[in-house]
Amino acid sequence: MILVVAEQRDGTLNRASLETIAAAQSTGDAIKIAVLGSGVDAVAQELGKAAASEVIAVDDPALKDYTADGFVMALEQLFAAETPDRVFLPHTYQTRDFAPALAARVTRPLITDCIAVKDGAYVRPMFQGKLQADIAVNDAGPHIATFQIGAYRADAMKAGSAPVRQASVAIDAAKIRQKPEAPFKEAKQAVDLSQAERIVAVGRGIKAQEHVALAQQLAAAMGAELAASRPICDAGWLPMDRQIGSSGQTVAPKLYVALGISGAIQHLVGMKGSRTIVAVNKDPEAPILEIADYGIVGDLFEIVPAMIAALNA
Amino acid sequence: MADRETLDVDILIVGGGPAGMSAALRLAQLQKEKGGEPLAIAVLEKAREAGAHMLSGAVLDPSTLKDLVPDFKERGAPLAADVRRDDIYFLTRSAKFRLPITPPFFRNHGNYIISLNRFVKWLAGLVEAEGIDIFTGFPATEVLFDGGAVAGVRTGDRGIDKHGQRKPTFEPGVDIRAKVTILTDGVRGNLTKSIVRQLGLDEGKSPAVYAIGIKELWEVPAGRTEAGRVVHTMGFPLKMEEFGGGFMYSLPDNLVSLGLVAGLDYKDPMFDPHVAFQHLKRHPLVASVLDGGSLVRYGAKALPEGGWYTIPKTYASGVLIAGDAAGFMNSARLKGIHLAMRTGMLAAETAFDAVRNGDTSEAALKAYDDRVQASAVRAELYPVRNVHQAFGYGTIAGAAFTGLSLVTGGGWIKDPLPAHGGWTRIRKLASYYKDARPDSESTVNPVKIDRQLTFDRLTGVHYSGTRHPEDQPSHLIVHDANICATRCREEYGNPCIRFCPANVYEMVDAGDGTKKLQVNASNCVHCKTCDIMDPYQIIDWVPPEGGGGPHYEGM
Amino acid sequence: MKIAVCIKQVVTREWQLRVNDQKTWIRDQDASFELNEPDAYALEEALRLKEKHGGEVVVCCAGPARSTQVIREALARGADRAVHVESDALAAADAGTVAAALAEAIAPEQVDLVLTGLQSDDQGFGQVGVILAERLGMPHATIIMEVQAEPGQTSLRVKRELEGGWFQWVGLPMPALLTIQSGINQLRYATLKGIMAAKKKEIRKVTPPAAAPGGPRIASLYFPEKGKKTQIVTGTPAEAAKELVRRLREEARAL
Repeated sequence: MILVVAEQRDGTLNRASLETIAAAQSTGDAIKIAVLGSGVDAVAQELGKAAASEVIAVDDPALKDYTADGFVMALEQLFAAETPDRVFLPHTYQTRDFAPALAARVTRPLITDCIAVKDGAYVRPMFQGKLQADIAVNDAGPHIATFQIGAYRADAMKAGSAPVRQASVAIDAAKIRQKPEAPFKEAKQAVDLSQAERIVAVGRGIKAQEHVALAQQLAAAMGAELAASRPICDAGWLPMDRQIGSSGQTVAPKLYVALGISGAIQHLVGMKGSRTIVAVNKDPEAPILEIADYGIVGDLFEIVPAMIAALNA
Repeated sequence: MADRETLDVDILIVGGGPAGMSAALRLAQLQKEKGGEPLAIAVLEKAREAGAHMLSGAVLDPSTLKDLVPDFKERGAPLAADVRRDDIYFLTRSAKFRLPITPPFFRNHGNYIISLNRFVKWLAGLVEAEGIDIFTGFPATEVLFDGGAVAGVRTGDRGIDKHGQRKPTFEPGVDIRAKVTILTDGVRGNLTKSIVRQLGLDEGKSPAVYAIGIKELWEVPAGRTEAGRVVHTMGFPLKMEEFGGGFMYSLPDNLVSLGLVAGLDYKDPMFDPHVAFQHLKRHPLVASVLDGGSLVRYGAKALPEGGWYTIPKTYASGVLIAGDAAGFMNSARLKGIHLAMRTGMLAAETAFDAVRNGDTSEAALKAYDDRVQASAVRAELYPVRNVHQAFGYGTIAGAAFTGLSLVTGGGWIKDPLPAHGGWTRIRKLASYYKDARPDSESTVNPVKIDRQLTFDRLTGVHYSGTRHPEDQPSHLIVHDANICATRCREEYGNPCIRFCPANVYEMVDAGDGTKKLQVNASNCVHCKTCDIMDPYQIIDWVPPEGGGGPHYEGM
Repeated sequence: MKIAVCIKQVVTREWQLRVNDQKTWIRDQDASFELNEPDAYALEEALRLKEKHGGEVVVCCAGPARSTQVIREALARGADRAVHVESDALAAADAGTVAAALAEAIAPEQVDLVLTGLQSDDQGFGQVGVILAERLGMPHATIIMEVQAEPGQTSLRVKRELEGGWFQWVGLPMPALLTIQSGINQLRYATLKGIMAAKKKEIRKVTPPAAAPGGPRIASLYFPEKGKKTQIVTGTPAEAAKELVRRLREEARAL
């Protein structure tokens, strides 16, 4: 049985949890889903729409605000009670904070940031995405795995009807050493493109600074962040924190659209890990077309407006 | 704000290449032999680690190595392969003609094919084992004077942003004061260049002449070639008026080191050494070896071709100059590593005596020059003193002269042969091309870039491993960038965009219909070609922030 | 304030990676190595805390002999002394094994604070720091952007990075362990004097504990394959654009 630990905050389900459920379902094993917090009934009911044997709501006032200690205590008990063969979690910031502590507490192996399960081994990136590894777990006992956001699709999750059960855990609030304050949002000075799900990047083919606006429109239509290859940032047409490549950021979004980018190796190393790559370039020999999943050879000034129209249709 | 650090040593070696490392090792040996109060010795190296900026073919003449480290084999000297086979080919675009006899200059029996990067790393290990500090990531930017005497060097400031402002991490350069400074800062070394100018050390000497060497390291399919094979080529892709040739050396583990050396005294302003190198790779002789293989590393460096008469006065009060920095290279044999090592050792011996005797004046340090004159260095370099200059009359004349040197001992009716700074020979577009003036952005005699065998410059830069922190001032000082879009474009068609092997220089749209020079400093591989070759001599290469530059692993 | 900083030596970022014959690790003979980048920021943070509050910074490294390169670099930047748990097997070991080795080094030191990088640039599991905290019995917080420590007090206030531009301050008692995010400060240079002084600083060698069997292991390391062929979408710009958007929506499900 695979125990999937879903994530919620203040009553809102983190949709990455659905991806993790899909990952668990893809193995064919029986699945249970757990969710931790305080007042999580609505979230638990939402999770009940997945094909699983049950949803376990671990509801406790001590779990209202996430703390590593609180979650580890709760999951340690759940682990003992449910005796799963495997525990799957989404690889979120929160999971990264407690999963290794849980693994150490129950003395079980943990494999993080997985993108696939393959014959009992876990596939995950290494060396900042340049390589991939199949990690084998040599241990007969249970183990824990976290899944990279976007590795599985939330809409690939099989729907069903799972009954919700309340489970209680004994948490000694005095033993929780972390004292969290309320999370807050900060206007980040630098854009973190590595968090973007979709990126539209422009290169020299955009020809002039005023045409960057066209790419911006495409980005807006796609719900994407705007980025650029080095020459564009060197020219000052976009700020340096939008640069992708060996002297800028390395990204691997779900979708990367390269407009007028030839594909110099310095740029490719920054984005070739992207799930789906689209290239629009007037040069049929442009190196970027070799690594693209989809390419259009033509004038981006005609193609991009047409794409915007198709997206808004 | 940090105060400027100072350090006092007895002998400072500037530049951790074969000359510098040999000097350091020799000093350690002398300390042991002669005993006495231990000397404080330090080596400065601008690269992040020893050997990282080292690039050469290379076929090593082991004569100096045998003297410096007699048990070099037991101590694991990384001599990749014994030279087993030596061939010279004359190439045309599609054919090759093997010279039936290998001229004496080119006989490499008893020599070794090496990776200079690995060799220098090994030397560095020996130096550090002797307890001598090698400060990597510290470029020397300025010579310090005490009255008229050289008193040491100042290293570069760190933590300055691209606008020249100090960052919070700012550290001023260190003043290292030394009784004797041995400059071994390599071909067109920035400190040697400045001190030669300042002290007039080149008075009465022939102007220095250089070549550019562009090199790649390839991994080829097994069985394609045997380790120890040395191939040199002449002719295609170079014109008869252009000095240089190709090389291809086979190493163990299916590695091949190959490249093109082109004199930086060419006449055709549209000449592009990088394009010429791609042409060489496409020649059947080379392509048949590389086909199906993969590029491992790329790089470029200048070579000091001028010979004996271009070597400046190599000593002054408090300073000695050795290795490529002074121009100790045999351009007939294309060998300089053993001479760099030898002159490094001789400089060490002189410096050691001078410090021990308490006299580091010019008169005392002249002993270095005396040693060099009496050594194998002069015996080797003097007979070939006019060879490169003879090539100024064309390849045939050059080859004939070189051959004749064996009999004549290198002299001629005019001795020295007339010599010119390489950059003065470049002809103007109008004069060279007359009515068929090409567009300066075009490539004369272009080559297909297929990204299997041939690559563009930017790909090469990637494979050179070159890396510089972005937020620093450009280290290529172009004293008058206004010339670029106007006078230079008209007269020479901006040759910098062609002679730089790393895409540092580009002419881009200025936005108002004109062009302007864009300097992509972070691509620089520290080859010094621009400093040498720009027709107006307005480019000064200064060291970027310490640690930056190529990573010539295996080169 | 006594601070332990855990550092790891990794292959440099630009190193052209090649997989070894057994496909269990990269070929790293003659490779170029450097200090793991997040660890460099952890070290810098420790040095700043020491400058502010006094005390000592001890670097701890679990790795093969060649790791002395990064240990010396850390000492040159200002760390006071080092502990090296030396073993070749630690070069590519799993997180549990590494954490056990580091615990062996740190436990006798009685530190107030342990700083690690949030993850390594090579394996990137992001586990060692947190497992180490558990082994040392310390509370922990991860992906830390800022550390506030008051002199004389026994607790810290730290700023955690969360998803999507969110942050959170968390208080925790000392001794504690923090995993540090890259880029939170500006790294100082190692000065010439620092490099020379580093040679005289103590590096205590420790033998690693016996490896616990059964940890996860790399069964196969390889370059990810781009098995798919490029689909060139043809037609007039309008047609091609429309078709592309359709394929992105329906085939690639990227929109």
